Amino acid sequence: MAQVSIGKLSDFPDGTPTFAEADGTRLCIVRVGDKVHAICDDCPHAEASLSEGDFLADDLAVECPLHGSAFNLESGDPDAPPATEAVQVFAVTVDGDDVRVEI
Amino acid sequence: MPITLIVGGGMAGRAAALTLRRVGYQGEIILVGDETTPPYDRPPLSKSVIVGKADLDKVIKPALATYAEDGIDLRLGVAVTSADAAAKTATLSDGSEVAWDALVIATGCAPREVPIPGLDKPGVFRITRLDEALAIQEVLSSGPKRLAVIGGGFIGMEAAAAAVAHGHTATVLEAAPEPMARPLGLAVAERVLRWATDRGVEVRAGVGVDEVLGDDRASGVRLADGDIIDADLVICAIGQVPRLELARLLGCEEAAGGIKVDTGMHTSVDGVYAVGDIAAFPSKWADEDRIRVEHAGVAIGHGQTAAEQIATGEGMFEDLPTFWSDQGDITLNMVGVPRPEDEIVWRGDQAIPACTAFYLRDGKLRAAMSVGDMKTLRGVRKLFAAGVSPTAEQLADPDADLAALAAG
Ligand SMILES: Cc1cc2nc3c(=O)[nH]c(=O)nc-3n(C[C@H](O)[C@H](O)[C@H](O)COP(=O)(O)OP(=O)(O)OC[C@H]3O[C@@H](n4cnc5c(N)ncnc54)[C@H](O)[C@@H]3O)c2cc1C
Ligand code: FES
Repeated sequence: MAQVSIGKLSDFPDGTPTFAEADGTRLCIVRVGDKVHAICDDCPHAEASLSEGDFLADDLAVECPLHGSAFNLESGDPDAPPATEAVQVFAVTVDGDDVRVEI
Repeated sequence: MPITLIVGGGMAGRAAALTLRRVGYQGEIILVGDETTPPYDRPPLSKSVIVGKADLDKVIKPALATYAEDGIDLRLGVAVTSADAAAKTATLSDGSEVAWDALVIATGCAPREVPIPGLDKPGVFRITRLDEALAIQEVLSSGPKRLAVIGGGFIGMEAAAAAVAHGHTATVLEAAPEPMARPLGLAVAERVLRWATDRGVEVRAGVGVDEVLGDDRASGVRLADGDIIDADLVICAIGQVPRLELARLLGCEEAAGGIKVDTGMHTSVDGVYAVGDIAAFPSKWADEDRIRVEHAGVAIGHGQTAAEQIATGEGMFEDLPTFWSDQGDITLNMVGVPRPEDEIVWRGDQAIPACTAFYLRDGKLRAAMSVGDMKTLRGVRKLFAAGVSPTAEQLADPDADLAALAAG
């Protein structure tokens, strides 16, 4: 496991899923206030990029833009079909302005 | 130790096997599938596999090692040929006999037989199994091709749209006057068809196919009106029929063209469950006593429910049926159980498209199909969960927040 820097806090607009790459791993990053969440960007269901989906603040989830399963940013679990598997969740540390993801 | 025998390594059978362990089943699990490929997702076949866009590790899943780790005895390339409800045994095509305490029948569908001469020619493909989809991929990978697709259901339309999006040409041949009218209703089907033709898919509807042409290889088809459609390959996507033979041997009661089950997926025969495409199940979301649907999400839910019943004696399938269809860059997302005669109310922009068609019956919202309009779809899910049905005016009004209406 390695901590990989993916950018500055200000690179990630509040409440907007944003794509990032860390050591070849494709990530969907969502900043909520001063907390930052990271999940795998590839929807476990089919060929969609979760960072192109909407952030659902009430559920703390990112909604897949293709078929609408919403993945919780803490557990990775989908709320409804068609996805049935969880998306991988990565630990994030914010050190000053530096955002690092544990890969 | 109790034994669960699962017949069919498709989407419902796989879900049943994997769920059994997840809910703590201690018995033996035998999963018998007559395909040689390990269990895989079927929906990508007509969308991404045929055009070489799918990651096969994501289609064939989980990894083979998972079955061993979970103690699932996966037997591939073997069919269950008969079963006996009284003796609780089954016979396999390799000659072996298996005793069972619980039997899960997940045999899915077989392609419909159609009496069109020439369907046996090389260059004619079905698209129900992974090996068939990969064979199409091989042909399409060698440069632009002309496809003739017999059958304008979802699968045929998806295959045509995917091929066109990847630089091929495709003509869909549908005997009915309007493709997809049965599952979507005429008004919505017409709109979906227009999105496809706007993107370059050719459609000939209301005319049957008389013959597949070609000497040693398919070179096109001749239509009932005499027209000839030249093609480099022919895809036959004419529909499918549930495989009920085994359940019939066991004496299971039938309904709605399938095997009758309750919400716990029990058939009329003790210890025997039916799941997935073959199951005719009760649904609070439908008017009919039993419905049978050929959708992946439902198949998975059925498999999970049967597993819970076997392991714990509890669990009911009461999910809101959902369905999706990717046709090139157009993705249809359906929730609920529509009927062709339902009244349709639209919201949003059909040109982009970013819109939703609501299906109303006796003034009540029964289903919705969205394209590029996730927010509305999410609102609809909340409406169903809350049991709230807005008025047609509210549904048509893009400013009426459905989630807020659901919250009351
Ligand atoms: C090309 C295609 C695209 C689709 N797209 C979508 C979509 O976009 N959205 C959606 O919701 N649904 C879609 N579906 C439907 C969905 O895939 C099915 O509803 C689902 O696979 C049904 O699951 P099942 O387990 O009942 O049957 P299947 O997945 O068909 O599995 C049945 C398995 O049992 C095997 N079998 C049968 N009899 C025996 C026997 N006697 N012994 C051993 N093995 C046996 C069969 O060979 C097969 O492998 C699509 C289907 C196809 C073919
Ligand atoms: S691709 Fe994400 S839910 Fe289908």
